[in-house]
Amino acid sequence: MSVRALWIISYERGESVAVRFSRRYPTVEQRAKCMAGSLYVSVPEDGTVLQLLLTELGLSDSDKPYMALRDDCLHQQRSPALELHVEGPSGGVLWPVLVFSQGPLILACLAMVDAPADPRPPLASLFSVSQGLTLLAGLQAFLCGSGSKPDREGLTSRLAMMPSILLQICPLGTPLDIPQPGASSASAMPTPAGTQKQPAWKTGVHRGRAVVNVALTEMVRSMQYGNRNRQDLWDVYGTVTCKCEVEGVLPNVTVTLTLPPNGSPLMDVLVHPCVSSLDASVLTAMSVEDCDSSAFSGPYKFPFSPPLEPFRLCSYTSQVPVPPILGTYQLKDDDNQLRITVSLKLHESVRNSFEYCEAHLPFFNRDQMGSVDVKVSSGQLEVSKEKNLLVWVLGQKFPKSREVSLEGSVSFSGELPGPTDPLCTDLTAYIKLYFRVPDVTLSGCCVDQHSVQVYSSAKPRIVTSRELLSSEYFIWNSTGTAPVSSGHMML
Amino acid sequence: MSANWPERISAFLRSPSQFLCITTSDIFLAEVLHELRDDRASDLIKVLLLSPLLEHPTLLCPSVSVGEETALELMSVFAQCSPKSLPLRCHLLLALTSVLLCSCCVSSHTSASQDFLDLLLQMAQDTNDAQAGAALHPLRTTACDCLRELEACLPGLLSQRLELLSSLRQQENSRLHQAYTGLHALALRNAVYLLTQQKGAGAGDLKAALGSNEGFVWGEGADSAHPNSESHSDLALFSPLTLGPMGKVPSLQTGLDCKELRSLLSSLLEESYLLTSLSQAALLRRLVEVLAMVPAVSPTIFRAQLLRLLGTCKVCLLHTTLLMKAAFTDSLFSAEDEAFLLKRLVGLSQHPLLSTPEKLFYMDCILHFPENRPISSGDESLPVLLTPRLAAALVPTVFNDSVSMLARLNLLSLVYLEEGEEDREGQGGRGLAYLYDHLTSLLHIVENQASREMVVTFFRASFLFLLHFCHVERYSEDLSQRLCDLYLRRTRLAPHLINLADRTQDRLEESGWAVALLRALQRTITEAPLSQLTLQDLRWHLRILARVAEEGEVLQRATLNFLLCVITSSSSALCVSGDWRLGNGVLGVCRRLLLHPSLDSLLTPLADLLQHLTCHYGETDIQDHARLYYTLLTTLSQEKLAGVLAQRGTERGRQAKVRSLSAIMGETEELTSGLTVHQTERPLLRLVKLDKHEPDECKPEHKPDSEPACETESSPGQGGIEDYRAQFQSSSFASEITLQYHLTHIGVHDPHFDKLFSIRLHFDLTDGHYEEVSDISVPCLFRTRKPPTVRLRLKPKQPYHTTLRASAIFTTEDGLSWHSPLADLHVAFPEVFLPLLAPLGWAREKKQRVFEGIWGEICSGQSEGDLTNAATSLFCDQLEDLAVGELVEKHFQRYLVSDLDKGRCKVLFFLPPQSHVLLKVITEEDAVQVHIATDNWKLLPYINSYLEDITKEMHSTQQVNGDV
Repeated sequence: MSVRALWIISYERGESVAVRFSRRYPTVEQRAKCMAGSLYVSVPEDGTVLQLLLTELGLSDSDKPYMALRDDCLHQQRSPALELHVEGPSGGVLWPVLVFSQGPLILACLAMVDAPADPRPPLASLFSVSQGLTLLAGLQAFLCGSGSKPDREGLTSRLAMMPSILLQICPLGTPLDIPQPGASSASAMPTPAGTQKQPAWKTGVHRGRAVVNVALTEMVRSMQYGNRNRQDLWDVYGTVTCKCEVEGVLPNVTVTLTLPPNGSPLMDVLVHPCVSSLDASVLTAMSVEDCDSSAFSGPYKFPFSPPLEPFRLCSYTSQVPVPPILGTYQLKDDDNQLRITVSLKLHESVRNSFEYCEAHLPFFNRDQMGSVDVKVSSGQLEVSKEKNLLVWVLGQKFPKSREVSLEGSVSFSGELPGPTDPLCTDLTAYIKLYFRVPDVTLSGCCVDQHSVQVYSSAKPRIVTSRELLSSEYFIWNSTGTAPVSSGHMML
Repeated sequence: MSANWPERISAFLRSPSQFLCITTSDIFLAEVLHELRDDRASDLIKVLLLSPLLEHPTLLCPSVSVGEETALELMSVFAQCSPKSLPLRCHLLLALTSVLLCSCCVSSHTSASQDFLDLLLQMAQDTNDAQAGAALHPLRTTACDCLRELEACLPGLLSQRLELLSSLRQQENSRLHQAYTGLHALALRNAVYLLTQQKGAGAGDLKAALGSNEGFVWGEGADSAHPNSESHSDLALFSPLTLGPMGKVPSLQTGLDCKELRSLLSSLLEESYLLTSLSQAALLRRLVEVLAMVPAVSPTIFRAQLLRLLGTCKVCLLHTTLLMKAAFTDSLFSAEDEAFLLKRLVGLSQHPLLSTPEKLFYMDCILHFPENRPISSGDESLPVLLTPRLAAALVPTVFNDSVSMLARLNLLSLVYLEEGEEDREGQGGRGLAYLYDHLTSLLHIVENQASREMVVTFFRASFLFLLHFCHVERYSEDLSQRLCDLYLRRTRLAPHLINLADRTQDRLEESGWAVALLRALQRTITEAPLSQLTLQDLRWHLRILARVAEEGEVLQRATLNFLLCVITSSSSALCVSGDWRLGNGVLGVCRRLLLHPSLDSLLTPLADLLQHLTCHYGETDIQDHARLYYTLLTTLSQEKLAGVLAQRGTERGRQAKVRSLSAIMGETEELTSGLTVHQTERPLLRLVKLDKHEPDECKPEHKPDSEPACETESSPGQGGIEDYRAQFQSSSFASEITLQYHLTHIGVHDPHFDKLFSIRLHFDLTDGHYEEVSDISVPCLFRTRKPPTVRLRLKPKQPYHTTLRASAIFTTEDGLSWHSPLADLHVAFPEVFLPLLAPLGWAREKKQRVFEGIWGEICSGQSEGDLTNAATSLFCDQLEDLAVGELVEKHFQRYLVSDLDKGRCKVLFFLPPQSHVLLKVITEEDAVQVHIATDNWKLLPYINSYLEDITKEMHSTQQVNGDV
């Protein structure tokens, strides 16, 4: 149930690669040695580990097109655990090395195999693997902060905190907790001595005005092909984020999600561990099987005792009947000139009030754009500085007809070649939509202010909000071949 | 010094081996401990100083005694710490745990470890901050963590303290209850396990164990923490029990009467919600084990937690649920639960909000799904409930990242493979068609300037596809055709294609797909229009053709025609340019053709080609080699040719490669490794001292004098001392001592190093008392044979003990050279002794005269004060008559000048280059007097400690004899 060692590596393509932090757990190592017997392989020094890890991740010697060690097709890296092949007389295979990488950070840990080493036990039977994954995910969230890319200074200061953080969360190789990203707020007070046991995940108790904030965010994904032979796809996933400032050691809060009548049920519901009990019906609907129309469709009750920091109470996916924006995209190649026709239609059920809405039309594997002769029925058209992307800014509103169109031609007579992409060759091209609609969810799911119950002495202020965001919203050119994006369409 | 501590510590942590090259571990340890004691050093620095001990305790404290001393030092630092220095005190506890556990102090029950355990337990008992206050929370948590780690490494240590642990856990109301819970659960699990191993243990014993509050159990279980102890075989103590239908779980027969355990378990479960996900998962894991061992308690007590666990977003908690399912199958999970759990896993494997590693892990869990009624127990098998319909959610797409894509491809291949078995025509269904379409879309991407990562992924995907569907000819043939087309457009992919061919040949030997691919590649290359051939393409073509030429089944005529065309018709450019690498590439193909089974039919064109190269290629080296090949081809029979070139023949075989510098045209990478001296990570060899007093080792040629026994009464010469002195006229006389060693292997058995050749031992001096030692060569060392004897000749400048640094350079069977350090060689003071150096045939009386002569000189010289280095001394000890005899026989036999007579004898040690130590041993009643005279007073302290050592040894043997 433990990890033998932990590494934090910064990797910037073409720039610097370095082990920024590492920690070994010798007492775990003793146990690992005992378990593995003659198959024991000791953990090499950081420099060696770094080299082996980069080779295994395919990142070493990026200037060489082929390296047997790195590119052998026999290495099937299809599991979350890597093997490091340690050379030399005391060499062997170090396994399982778990790796998380995001942006310039690579986090890795070597989990202890607490089962006889031969034959190699399946990964799924090793408890230390899920512990290691949870630890790494927690460390990653802490080091990267809220943004996807950590800033250099912030990262350095957080790395400097690692020894004291590990003292709390993993002092001797057995992970106990993950670091709390927003360190305890000022309002947190030490717990008064009482009979109620304080949850270990709560650093103190809240003092002051009670406020409960529940935010619902839905992301919509879509792949539209404009092709009769190929079904368009779209789906929605949502998250409910809470910040609860409520007094008491173990206060009870219940948040209820409701769907409109005939709404399709919430599927694949995942809950935060602070949810104290769940009804079986909440979990029944799943996206991987056909939906039963008589299925449970709410209300979805989530009783929990909140931690001090903001947290994701639950998430779900949903199949909605229509995409919010339906589009068509047609390209015609005409003598180094592309004739473009686009039309977008906002569905009537979606509120016509965007915070922003943009359509991006990138062009790959061509020269830079020369003349752009394109007209739009609404909004403005911009050409990116690099001259390889048209940005159609649709603004806050679609016109009354809820339909907009773009038509014209673009020549690619620029001096420099534009960006390349192995997927978008010839007439394979896409439009990607970016939009945010406040106060709307596509599934119709909502959190009613009055449905939030808080069992505490003071009456809390309750704030709820919801929004719809686009994520991977693609409209493919219907005159070119478009890649398959899901297995459901072919079966 | 203190200013550079952060730098030094980070240098140590970065590479301990490099750091310890400059200093030694004991010096560094002493420095660290000294600085820790220094009040001026800040807490921050002290915490930093502890990290070497925390992370590499075995390097700094290699033995129990060093570990014990270090622990005592750390404990006293801990005691003197200001109470406010919390982080420092916490880190001290952790460092102590590491040091004590890793230097085996705890398993040896040293007093420091007992004190430490008492200290930890005392700190842990301050529940709810009754004494020290809330400020000490971190310290108390750390103490619990340390106790838990001790229990984990020495399972059962706390098995007699369950009552205390239970009450501590129940009393604690602050967040710290988590630490107590973890500790209690682990101790409980270990205690129950130990009970199952006790014969006839039952409900009563369990009850007693739960209520026990005695001491620490330094029992048998504790010894097992010693990693080197071979005796302990019960690894189940360290590892979770192998749960699931295949694993055997030991069980404790309690009958139905285990109320205490049941109530304990339910109280632990009730509070599990209050723990962090990670600790909660660990607790549940322990409880699952306990329940599995005590069948009297039904696993349904987990039911209340189950829904919460199934809905969780935390990978560790869901994993625990899966392990629970493996342990209890249908006694806890109904068939619907099972179906639900599997669907859930499929859903999670593609959930948009989860990270890639988590999704990959869930996919792995599908392949090892703990079914209630498993049919097979293979490595990776699909659960029966995973239908193609369900699995369709996981089909690979070009939008997946490489790793997920490969994982999905593997999973779906298994699904469709099963589906295909039901399909009579064996052509696979729509699912397989989809997978192949996917592969071809990857191929298109690779055609379109894909990134390196994409290229590698494509070849991995192809390999994976072939592993499963090589038998479906429709696809496998099409794939090889497409690969050929791809190759013509992207010749840079040659190494990938060769790799794919190699791997499929290894894994799918009978299918012949690899050979078909190579044949197709050969056709593609040789039939392509020559006019479009660029030099760059040719370079890759030669690589492919060389690989094709290794296949005996593939006809090589086309290859030769192609080469002839390239070399002769468009000759002007290529031959005139004299590009060494290209020429080398052509020769590489030729070399393989020379070994081809159909060489007879290739003779003429190959000879033509080689001759053309010899005459026209614009590079002398290539010409020379071509001429050599030509000569070999035209003069040797095929068998001999094979013999000459055979070692290159196994080149592609992935067995131990035979590397040899004489191999013609070694490939660059091999050449480099052949020329490099590699470094072994740890010592492989050692020198074992041979005891030269053993009779069979006392060969006369190593002893300048003869044994008294074989002395012949011949020369009645006079004036012994003058004759004796005369010998020293020659400067080389008796200036050396010879020590004998056996050279043997040590350490883990590694077959790679079983046979070593041309071993050269090198010795470095560590002081100035000796002349430089010359290297020693040993022809070979085989693990299976008798170890060779090594004679080390030392030439002292001063006859003191010394230490030599030793290292060895040798060659392994595969031709690689290695450098390996040996353990330091210690030459003890008595090893420098030589007996009186008298010519053969000197009578004993003459030797005695020499003895008396030197004795007299020393005594008189000392009194007159002209022999400034001379000294006499006296050593006394209580020894019985019998023991004196034994002492003399054991240690002085070689050096006796007169036989032992009535407890008296004379002994002479000669110490090269010019020193003498003379002893007169006189026994009186129960005491022995040793009168010492020497012409080098600086030796006196060494003589003294030598005499002390040997008499002490006598005392201890006497003691043993007495006891018996």
